[in-house]
Amino acid sequence: MTMSYSFISAFKSLGREKWINILSTLTVASSLLIITLAVFFLYNIELIANHLPERFSMMAYLEDPLSREETRNIIDSLKKRPEVANVKYISRDDALIELKHTLKDSRSLLEGLDENPLTSSIEIKLRREFVTPSSTSRIAEEIRKIPGIDTIYYGERIAEAIHLLKQSVRNISIIIFLTISLGVVFVVYSTVKILFYRKNEEIEIIKLLGATSGFIRTPFLIEGGIIGLSGGILGIVGAFVFYFAVTYRLSTVIPILKTLVFPFEVLIALPFVGIILGVIGSAIAIGRIRL
Amino acid sequence: MIAFENVSKFYDHNTVLKNITFTVQKGEMAFITGPSGAGKSTLLKLMYMEELPDEGNISIEDIHLSSLKMSEIPLLRRNIGVVFQDFKLINNLTVFDNVALALHIRGVSEREVHSFSSEALKKVGLRHVADSYPKSLSGGEQQRVAIARAIVGGPVVLLADEPTGNLDPDTALDIITLFRELNSQGTTILIATHNRELLKNTVKRLLRLDSGTLTEETVL
Repeated sequence: MTMSYSFISAFKSLGREKWINILSTLTVASSLLIITLAVFFLYNIELIANHLPERFSMMAYLEDPLSREETRNIIDSLKKRPEVANVKYISRDDALIELKHTLKDSRSLLEGLDENPLTSSIEIKLRREFVTPSSTSRIAEEIRKIPGIDTIYYGERIAEAIHLLKQSVRNISIIIFLTISLGVVFVVYSTVKILFYRKNEEIEIIKLLGATSGFIRTPFLIEGGIIGLSGGILGIVGAFVFYFAVTYRLSTVIPILKTLVFPFEVLIALPFVGIILGVIGSAIAIGRIRL
Repeated sequence: MIAFENVSKFYDHNTVLKNITFTVQKGEMAFITGPSGAGKSTLLKLMYMEELPDEGNISIEDIHLSSLKMSEIPLLRRNIGVVFQDFKLINNLTVFDNVALALHIRGVSEREVHSFSSEALKKVGLRHVADSYPKSLSGGEQQRVAIARAIVGGPVVLLADEPTGNLDPDTALDIITLFRELNSQGTTILIATHNRELLKNTVKRLLRLDSGTLTEETVL
């Protein structure tokens, strides 16, 4: 069997049954476009979620009193830890200035304070990859044991929320991708099955002439692949239309849309995803038909 | 060589072929005759395995058909050229493509497909309608396309089911002459026909089927 003959045969068949193939291609294109748009939104949420850990910090309150030397040692030992991105020492005087600044509209609260009740502290920023509920609690526990550190406060809930948000985005992506992919597979499956039954008589003749099942099946696999590929390419066109509509038209009304990032890498993958889903759909369709 | 050994075929308890035993030697040309419904077509179908026998053994070129796996049936069919009674042409392919299909199935190169198909169409006198579609041809022309498709692959065995059924006497004779020519080149040929006129001057060997039974075997 020559592969070129299978391709010619597949293209001829696509031409003969053009309406069903066009409808099928448009359906695949819409589905892939939905995947792209979902990726677009989730990608932007993920970007925001990725920046959240930068705002996450731990506050280690120091024992009072501590010598300059002891404080320096604590800061050094914190800096040496691989999880720590940077540390910032806040003296009790700085802390009071900060507090006064924060409470500038409610000065009465601080009236009557004879001496500074605050303690010195160190603000610790962690590297992004360590801002997970398990890492933060482990790190906090270890830091708490460093001599000279009295207590440590960190936003357990915040770490959990960031983690949950990222996890949810990932799960939603997978669910959307799988559901719509299944839909695409089903569309191609149905199309190829219809084409197969329409050609039933022709297939019977080809079989009697000595065709192997491979010779009969290959053009259908190619047809499925072509439907998927065409759907993928149309999906790219649709995605570009959407992108320009959002960035040029809508962003004039809603400026925040300008900050959205479009993952163009996804577009390159679209035709390949189309081909794979198309071939899977037709493989299931012809696999279920006895040759 | 084609060999039938006690072959029987039943459809819903009706006996279509009963205890058929005969052989056709390699390079021989034989005719099967008999009235409609005698079982001629079924006998041919058993040879290219469109039907399977209920009893007995069939072998073609020393291959026992009962021992063939499903995946080996296409290989058997590629060595047997069949002219089907209802032609079995594909209507959305041109005459040329119908003939060429038999070669594409065999994995023949594009250049050879072209030259062999043209040659086969020339042999049946239909080169001028190569680009036409079967539906636009007369019954006789369609039959000749079917013959061209059956011979294009140079089969070891050629089976023809009423190959002259739709042809005028002159064209019928031309086709039989073509079969003779192929036979002289070594192709074993088995023709099912009820056309007694055709048998007059051409018969080498005659098998007669009547109600599924081989009643007469004449060697002329």
